[in-house]
Amino acid sequence: MSPGLRASPLHSWHRANGARMVEFGGWEMPLQFGQGTLAEHMACRRAAAVFDVSHLGTVRLEGRDALGVLQSNLTNDLGKIGPGRAQYTHLLGEDGSVVDDLIVWWVAEERFDVMPNASNTASVLGAVGGRDVTAERAVIALQGPAARQVLAVTFPEAASVGHFRVTRLSWRGTPVTVAATGYTGEDGVELAVPAEAAVGLWEALVGAGAVPAGLGARDTLRLEAGLPLHGHELGPGITPLDAGLSWVLAWGKPGGFRGLAALEKQRAAGPRVKLAGLLGEGRQPMRAGYEVALGEAVPSGTAPPAQLTSGNYSPVLARGIGMCFLPVGVAPGTTVLVRGRGQELPAKVVKLPFVPKAGSGAGGAGRSVAGTPVPTTAS
Amino acid sequence: MNVPEDLRYSSDHEWCRQEGDHVRVGITDYAQDALGDIVYVQLPEPGAAASAGQPLCELESTKSVSDVFAPLDGTVVEVNSELVDSPQRVNEDPYGEGWICLIKPASAEAFGSLMGAEGYRKLIEA
Repeated sequence: MSPGLRASPLHSWHRANGARMVEFGGWEMPLQFGQGTLAEHMACRRAAAVFDVSHLGTVRLEGRDALGVLQSNLTNDLGKIGPGRAQYTHLLGEDGSVVDDLIVWWVAEERFDVMPNASNTASVLGAVGGRDVTAERAVIALQGPAARQVLAVTFPEAASVGHFRVTRLSWRGTPVTVAATGYTGEDGVELAVPAEAAVGLWEALVGAGAVPAGLGARDTLRLEAGLPLHGHELGPGITPLDAGLSWVLAWGKPGGFRGLAALEKQRAAGPRVKLAGLLGEGRQPMRAGYEVALGEAVPSGTAPPAQLTSGNYSPVLARGIGMCFLPVGVAPGTTVLVRGRGQELPAKVVKLPFVPKAGSGAGGAGRSVAGTPVPTTAS
Repeated sequence: MNVPEDLRYSSDHEWCRQEGDHVRVGITDYAQDALGDIVYVQLPEPGAAASAGQPLCELESTKSVSDVFAPLDGTVVEVNSELVDSPQRVNEDPYGEGWICLIKPASAEAFGSLMGAEGYRKLIEA
């Protein structure tokens, strides 16, 4: 264990089972297990994978005032849901920048579990108060088209939790909060389990066929699904409007929310940029920081070269892919050059996501992505 | 980690096998394991000059880009073009189907001055 880093309740299991560990957001977490990132990625797309996401924070707000505190701080409207439901939302600065993107689990009438990104837990706690219970539990994400089949044999009550529902259940006498949420683009659940029972639940899921997967696969999965990552597509100087996430903004919410005034100004002025996908012609991975040369797509001198916010290799498409903020006039289908390390990668602007989300009508084996048939032999 | 006895090694984790006048080059099992899943190989051009200790080509994994360094001076005479569509061979069979290129060494002595298996094993276990 590296000094100064936090460890998940599953840390010893990971070390004993071939995980390669890496620092992430102040935690030491698995980058990959023995099968490697590509196999873990494909297990999640085709069957079921299990991720230790204990590094996400859990900030618990309880009591009569909790709802009001969250409503005035977070952009989405909890009035649209109710107890037993989860909601994706943002915490903004006064300038409209995204301080964090997070999920709220409305666990019971007067109890909310707010789930920030690892490195933003302190700033979320500072903004909304509550109690940091991160150290008391592990969070296990079971994701993939076979996730519910894995649950059917390990934790049957959890198998029927509906999309974005949250419920408290008991697994072998241990209380587990089950939320049908995740960040891979696949169906699945996230299970918050008391630290002392984490290894038992994890081993049961793995024993039922879920493949242990690390942060490497988690990143390529969220990238294929076109999901933004804080520090890349969200952060200082980037508003939800820039990131194409206007649906998280409850403009008419009584009392508003922090950052609303800045966003209203931006909305009136019209969009500046648009988060777009870049699909490479070949296998070569794109990388964050590579520049996009727009060529004829915009009149020269009107836009600075855009930089990729994320990039990698898509295991499903067997192509390089990336995300980038482009001027609003650049339409899907536009051909661009992505430049990095002295090389030029031809690419096409595409709508996000690269791979349709489960349940979007194009799921399953016959998925076609960005107009391209999925290779049947993606490695 | 697999370190075959019959090969020679560079301190940059390339292996070399003498084949007549030529030397076949790849990366070691230790190197492929450290890189993770290789998804793209930028091969050298046949005819390119290889300069010991200088970058020869690039391997890209899901997590990073890494140089392959020339283990000796010479000329690239053949490349493993199978790796263009099947880069995972470097992970699956680093000493066999995952070879990278064939080099004609500039001097006959260079191969003999590379590390043996025992020396390389000590290097990676240090």
